[in-house]
Amino acid sequence: MVFDNLLQTVVFGLIEGSVIAVGAVGLTLSYGVTRFINFAYGEFLTYGAYLTVFLAAGVFGMSLPLPVAAVVALVLVGLLGVAVSRVFFEPISDRGALPLLITSIGVSFILRNLLQGWIGVSAKQLPIPLMRRQEYFGVRLTDLELGVVVAGVVTMLLIHLLLQRTMLGKRMRATSGNRSLAEVAGIDTTNVIRQTWFISAAAGALSGVLYAVLFAPFRPGVGFEYLIVIFAATLLGGIGRPYGAMLGAFFIGLAMNFGSTYLSANYTRAYAFIILVGVLLVRPEGIRGGEF
Amino acid sequence: MALLTGWASFLVAVATIGCIYGLLTLGLNVHYGYTGLLNFGHVAFFAAGAYASAIVTMPPPSTVTNASYEIWLNLPMPLGFPVSLAAAALVGGVLAFLIGLTSVRLGTHYLAIATFALAGVFSDVLVNEAWLTNGSFGMNSVPKPGRAMLTADEWQLAYLAFAALSLLVTYLVLERLVNAPFGRLLKGVRESEAAAKTLGKDTNAVKLKSFVIGGMIAGFAGGIYAHYLGSVVTAQFVPHVTFTVYAAMLLGGAASNTGAVAGAFLVIAFEESTRFITTAYNWIQSTLPEALSGVLPALFGPLPNNPSFIPSMRFVVIGVLFVLVIRFRPEGLFGDPAEIQALGEEED
Repeated sequence: MVFDNLLQTVVFGLIEGSVIAVGAVGLTLSYGVTRFINFAYGEFLTYGAYLTVFLAAGVFGMSLPLPVAAVVALVLVGLLGVAVSRVFFEPISDRGALPLLITSIGVSFILRNLLQGWIGVSAKQLPIPLMRRQEYFGVRLTDLELGVVVAGVVTMLLIHLLLQRTMLGKRMRATSGNRSLAEVAGIDTTNVIRQTWFISAAAGALSGVLYAVLFAPFRPGVGFEYLIVIFAATLLGGIGRPYGAMLGAFFIGLAMNFGSTYLSANYTRAYAFIILVGVLLVRPEGIRGGEF
Repeated sequence: MALLTGWASFLVAVATIGCIYGLLTLGLNVHYGYTGLLNFGHVAFFAAGAYASAIVTMPPPSTVTNASYEIWLNLPMPLGFPVSLAAAALVGGVLAFLIGLTSVRLGTHYLAIATFALAGVFSDVLVNEAWLTNGSFGMNSVPKPGRAMLTADEWQLAYLAFAALSLLVTYLVLERLVNAPFGRLLKGVRESEAAAKTLGKDTNAVKLKSFVIGGMIAGFAGGIYAHYLGSVVTAQFVPHVTFTVYAAMLLGGAASNTGAVAGAFLVIAFEESTRFITTAYNWIQSTLPEALSGVLPALFGPLPNNPSFIPSMRFVVIGVLFVLVIRFRPEGLFGDPAEIQALGEEED
């Protein structure tokens, strides 16, 4: 019984870890090429979840099946990311990290409150049926929870392949390593940065959709509130390091679920953060040093 | 005797809140403007001060409905008032010391996130530890000092005078401080930590001192706030407060105490006046001649009919303010461009 409970907690930790990992990788990729941490990133999660609901419920005139709605939402949020970058961040990209960071707070206020002003603060949820947990190898899971893990793992794999096997991935790594050197080598870094924004924002949206699947219902503040958790994973892995972010995310997911199960469910976010502060005190650069 | 009616009462309230935010902004300015510390958890110090004041002055729980707090001192008013404010500043300072101890040596991004998240954890504590804070129900019987001796209107004016005096004294002390050698040391750390270290300065200790000073000012502001409203509720202390204070500081001009105060009054005046938007809209609509009555709805459409519309738009404007000030006038209204330049640079 004790062992069962332990195993179940580990599994829930890994499930939530997948949601966090998708978000943390997206955030860290954009940090890699832009060199500032984006406080408006949570809004990509929120917009991903809301657009999926709207597209599935036919708010824009036609109602799509849920998976199609989610994919369309990811693309739209990706484009939103590119637009946000061009309008707000590119014009001040040569001014250093601080102005960019503060601008991102302004952007997060604008995006979140436009949505909230439009639809109000009432909670929404994805049109998915309640499911009964089934037994898989001694662990009780719904198919949805399994789906969340699969989606998370597939995303990690795709991002791994993107970084290691594609020309865009190489350009991203080059831009991240040394932007002016990449420029000299003939890489159109402005374009690389825009493409990275697309991937980053779409990953954020996916994380938001997965969050909505796991923890429905949600409100317009959902992404901003979850941002602390994603930040914790990103920092734990060392900002700008995708593989570190993945690792950090699973640590945080486990810490949050173990804390909630065995200590107190009131302090879920605090566990994420205590782990982080603990690690930072010993290793200020995060658990995974080294390059991209 | 209704001394203050309608507009006058509204203006007094706005001015009092303006003074409290002026203090908060002065505190943050010590962190960000003068020392370059990106503190995104300012609201935690404000909350710590407000709760400290509430705890030392709340009456026994047996006399209050829905009470679950177990610690109270029930200091008598008005003599307990200075003690309460001192406690507020002290607790704000202690919290800043504890958060600073773990965080000030971190780099820009790590510090921003560490303070942001620690403030989040602190607000979880306020919500969950009802024995100390009465939970999300809040402490709603914080005494208003001197209220028994004055009429409602006189008290409003007297408290405004007190808040304004507190702001003035804090302002003068800070002006003295930033022009003293210690102020130059803060700016030195902001401009180049490496250079300050080379001169043998313990930069982490300097940052920690800066953190504690700003935290004490924010805690003090929290005490004034608690006794002004007579109640302290967790929902008042959300991250929006931190960012409203940032908006005020950036608008007024970082590294300028005058700017901090001016920015706070401008932002609070704006926030408070947005509540009249619907009234103004309807008034304009009703006074327009018949022929023009279709113009406004055609331009703006019907205003969305949900109660969060106006509050949301208020924060959209705050967001736009962030973007525009940083982009077009980084020195704000009263800042010195030369001082701001160094804030954008990052040492790796």
